[in-house]
Amino acid sequence: MTRQALRKVSLAAAAAIILGIPVFVTSPTYLHILVLLFFYAYLTTSWNLVGGFAGVLPLGHSTFIGIGAYTSTILYLQYGISPWIGMIVGGFLATIVGVLIGLPTFKLRGAYFALATIAFAEAVRVIVENTDYLGPFKLNGPRGLQIPPLNVGFGNLLFNTKQPYYYIVVLMLFGVIALTYLVSRSKLGYYLNAGGEEPEAAMALGVNVARCKLMAMAMSSFLTALAGTFYAQFTLFIHPKSIISLDLSFEIAFIALIGGRGSIVGPLLGALLLRPVSDFSRIYLGAVLPGLHLIIFGIILILVMMFQPRGLHQPLARLYNWLIDRLIVERTVKLSPTKE
Amino acid sequence: MRILEAKRLSMRFGGLLAVDQLDLQIDEGQIFGLIGPNGAGKTTAFNCIAGVYQATSGEIFLHGESTSGQRPWDLCRKGLARTFQVVKPFATKTVLYNVAVGGFARTSVRARAEEKALEVLESLHLAEKKDALAGNLTIGERKRLEIARALATEPRLLLLDEVMAGLRPTEVDEMVRILKRLRDGGITIFLIEHIMRAVMSLSDRIVVIQYGKKIAEGTPREIASDENVIKAYLGEEYGAA
Repeated sequence: MTRQALRKVSLAAAAAIILGIPVFVTSPTYLHILVLLFFYAYLTTSWNLVGGFAGVLPLGHSTFIGIGAYTSTILYLQYGISPWIGMIVGGFLATIVGVLIGLPTFKLRGAYFALATIAFAEAVRVIVENTDYLGPFKLNGPRGLQIPPLNVGFGNLLFNTKQPYYYIVVLMLFGVIALTYLVSRSKLGYYLNAGGEEPEAAMALGVNVARCKLMAMAMSSFLTALAGTFYAQFTLFIHPKSIISLDLSFEIAFIALIGGRGSIVGPLLGALLLRPVSDFSRIYLGAVLPGLHLIIFGIILILVMMFQPRGLHQPLARLYNWLIDRLIVERTVKLSPTKE
Repeated sequence: MRILEAKRLSMRFGGLLAVDQLDLQIDEGQIFGLIGPNGAGKTTAFNCIAGVYQATSGEIFLHGESTSGQRPWDLCRKGLARTFQVVKPFATKTVLYNVAVGGFARTSVRARAEEKALEVLESLHLAEKKDALAGNLTIGERKRLEIARALATEPRLLLLDEVMAGLRPTEVDEMVRILKRLRDGGITIFLIEHIMRAVMSLSDRIVVIQYGKKIAEGTPREIASDENVIKAYLGEEYGAA
């Protein structure tokens, strides 16, 4: 077996395990936790397209989640339009907003860009919290919107059990990871990396850095909004605090930083580590001190940044490669025992 | 054939006139040297030509076409490439990746960009380093990587900003050989350089600037005996001697 084949087999095995989990885990509570885990992995992978490859640190992605969630929910509640269609509409709306945010802010460097995106996201939250009706659309201010659990079925992206949600979010995650993989090997991926690392050098090599970042932002905001719709249909209740809050934006950035910004599976690794920490600290320590999970997050983040500044992806990738090498070596030794 | 022409090029930063009414004519196939004391405005002139700065006044023509309003990436597509005095490798990426970024200027297919990158790396004796991280290279290798990236964009005109600074004498000799080979391959080279031995042996023509103004132009032999140049480099009293 070649190295490449071995990698493919191990990837397929990982995918099969993830897809097979609901067969063994039937408890709705655990499935709920797992759905949210993969939901965050999806969000962070989408964020990574711009936050990882383009070398900027957007901290306002909750805006796009909110746009996705509110668009599909309003279309469904007021006009009876399937959330699947609302999802796409929300995606395009978020793309427009993302590009509009990107146009002025991509000129800012480092922390200033991060601050600008925070300011924008907070402005959006405050506006939504104080708006009951936006034209004909009912936002319902801070009380949020509730989706009645009626007319369940695939067409309405509404289910009585957790399993369908699980499969949908996992397939979305696989899709976005595949897309990230393709982008990272494309001209756009090379240009984003180059522009993120040394913009002047990249420009001299023919890279229109600002345009590449906008393209990444457009993709990222589109994909992020899709997750918003999913979240609305999964929890059946959205309100500005839950879906446009900075906590959400920060958590995405935390997961990315810990997993490994700019790597393909880093966001998934980060979510696998941090989500259980977050959920269990909330369950068991939530009564002790509200927000304790964020403190724990912070401590983990500091530790990872001290010992693995480029995220957990790097040591794990090394381990993975080492394992694959070991397997290959063992095989070749077995095939040619006389060579010693 | 004239490849680059600057007419009364000036660049002002607030109260500082960094480049003052500079005229340049560079013919295709030449190696053209730009020298001058520190702070003379050489790199600023480069940055105007490469589209990093928009000149305060004056005009630049590439292949007879005005470049005003064009940004660095536009000019790169038109066959102008440059290196940076302070090297700017994509440090966390491999050497091959670095050069492939340049290769993408002429193709959208990764395999072709990498093929071009490998070809350039071979010609600059960097091929065996292709999988090394650019951040781990020696300074000599980094300077060659800068050139490799620029070459991968398939330029007609190559602006080199002090590619020999910090190199050991043997490395300078190698660089001189490389540049001569590039010129023979049809690339026009415009270089800023402080290592006189190299500039004098390489250049077909040299322009000397001081305080942003051209003070001399000619063949290396003419420049070496020019009184203004000697004064600029060694001070007034030497000029009188």
